Amino acid sequence: MDKKTVANIAYLSRLKLNSDNEEKITSDLENIIKFVDQLDDVNVENIAPLTSPLEKTAKTRSDEVTAKNRKDVFLERAPKSNEDYFLVPRVVE
Amino acid sequence: MSIQYKTIAELRSMLDSKAISSKEIVEETYKLIDENNDLNAFITLNKEAAIAKSIEIENSPVKSALHGIPIAQKDLFCTKNLRTTCGSNILSNFIPPYSATVIENLENAGCISVGKTNMDEFAMGSSNETSFFGGVRNPWGQNLVPGGSSGGSASAVAAGLVPAATGTDTGGSIRQPASLCGITGLKPTYGRISRWGMIAFASSLDQAGPMARTAEDCAIMLNEMCSHDAKDTTSLSEDVPNFTKDLDSSIKGLKIGIVKEFDMSQLDTDVVSVFEESKKHYESLGAEFIEVSLPNISLSVPAYYVVAPAECSSNLSRFDGVKFGHRSKDPINLEELYIKTRSEGFGDEVKRRILIGSYVLSAGFYDAYYKKAQQVRRLIKNDFDSAFKKVDVIMSPTTRGAAFETGSKGSDPIQMYLEDLFTIPANLAGLPAMSLPNGMVNNKPIGLQLIGNFLDEKKILQVAHSFQKSTDWHLKTPKGTKLS
Repeated sequence: MDKKTVANIAYLSRLKLNSDNEEKITSDLENIIKFVDQLDDVNVENIAPLTSPLEKTAKTRSDEVTAKNRKDVFLERAPKSNEDYFLVPRVVE
Repeated sequence: MSIQYKTIAELRSMLDSKAISSKEIVEETYKLIDENNDLNAFITLNKEAAIAKSIEIENSPVKSALHGIPIAQKDLFCTKNLRTTCGSNILSNFIPPYSATVIENLENAGCISVGKTNMDEFAMGSSNETSFFGGVRNPWGQNLVPGGSSGGSASAVAAGLVPAATGTDTGGSIRQPASLCGITGLKPTYGRISRWGMIAFASSLDQAGPMARTAEDCAIMLNEMCSHDAKDTTSLSEDVPNFTKDLDSSIKGLKIGIVKEFDMSQLDTDVVSVFEESKKHYESLGAEFIEVSLPNISLSVPAYYVVAPAECSSNLSRFDGVKFGHRSKDPINLEELYIKTRSEGFGDEVKRRILIGSYVLSAGFYDAYYKKAQQVRRLIKNDFDSAFKKVDVIMSPTTRGAAFETGSKGSDPIQMYLEDLFTIPANLAGLPAMSLPNGMVNNKPIGLQLIGNFLDEKKILQVAHSFQKSTDWHLKTPKGTKLS
């Protein structure tokens, strides 16, 4: 775990580290990864991954529209919106 | 009439005998909250709506044991038209347009939500020190942490401000603060309580549950909290039993498992002697102890710190400043909007976990970390499956020690992660588990953990209740022992 790797995963996470915490976070991440590296020594041959404790197929429901259109309620919570859309800085020049 | 430290069951009989009205209880609750403001247990209060509801339901038929009872809600549950922050700056202005299913269930049962409790940011922490809204004080000591992440809920119940509160538990966030604050808390089986409207941290581990003074009150809460919910695909459709029925059943002949691999020599001797005393007490009630082996249990914390951050990095990608919550001022383009918003909005612990998650999920590392951790997760679950063929419940201390001082874990995150050594395994396996007060160490409470088999909440509640009927640890308060 070096500064370059941290810069890359920070970009993937859309986070910017500032100079005050960059070094501390880099060394924390290094220690945490070292800690989880204990898993390396475990033999997991032929063991299927457990993604959820339930291991059940999700139940399906009938394909009917149940949600009401509450556009106004959601748009009014946005930091910036007009009558129909969430507004963000211009993407296409 | 003081209602401080009263249980739900006690308030229920006061309401039924008309010794007090729901409005009086709610007004008294706000007085208690105000007098104990220094605990910083609440982020947002719901005073006007709570008092209005207490008046409104006064003359309506009693719907459940919770009718007219004040409850505090962890600030991780969406509450319609009531600010919901998850302890984070990024949601510091968020007012949900809907309530979580579990909140609706409780409110439909007649309970009165008095406010939203403080918590570690996005439930990531074991001391409540990561909250954007400041740490919570444990009522048992001036500089003591309440544990986390449900620290505000635990502190509010321990200080007797409310009889019960909701919490959530991803790696111990109900049980660890329950232990450190001297209250009773239960994490149900994964899927028992709908996660719809809970702000997600790690979706395959998160589970809501009750925090209260007694196992009986946890059972009362659980009766109303559980339901099948079509809006949550992981919500179980199994019948929900009546958790308060047969609570008094004898535990004679009960087989309690003690985990061979839990290394007690690493714990304070005081913690070990409290645990040994509890074993003797259970023996006197007719229980039998059997050693069980969970050979992979020591891998729980490392496996958790791959699975939970991976799921967190994915879940928290939704906080981008576009649709709700905090947005950074004057970004030059869309990418900067995301980056600045998230960097300003999240605290250091949340950033750390997102970064670990992005790392273990990134190309080339996925198999070595994420897949491997999930394989280890299965080994841990298999260990529990074998153990529960021999025993009815598994017992351990909940925590390695009693409440610690603010800032005392230093700046090494792994020291804090190890706080959840005993609690994380039940989350990985999806099993129900609870913590109940079982002694004091240096005048601070400490808890006993009971882990049940899949869907066996009723059993662990009975086992906890039998202990509380014959001991008084759950009656201890920071102001002395309460008369039962």
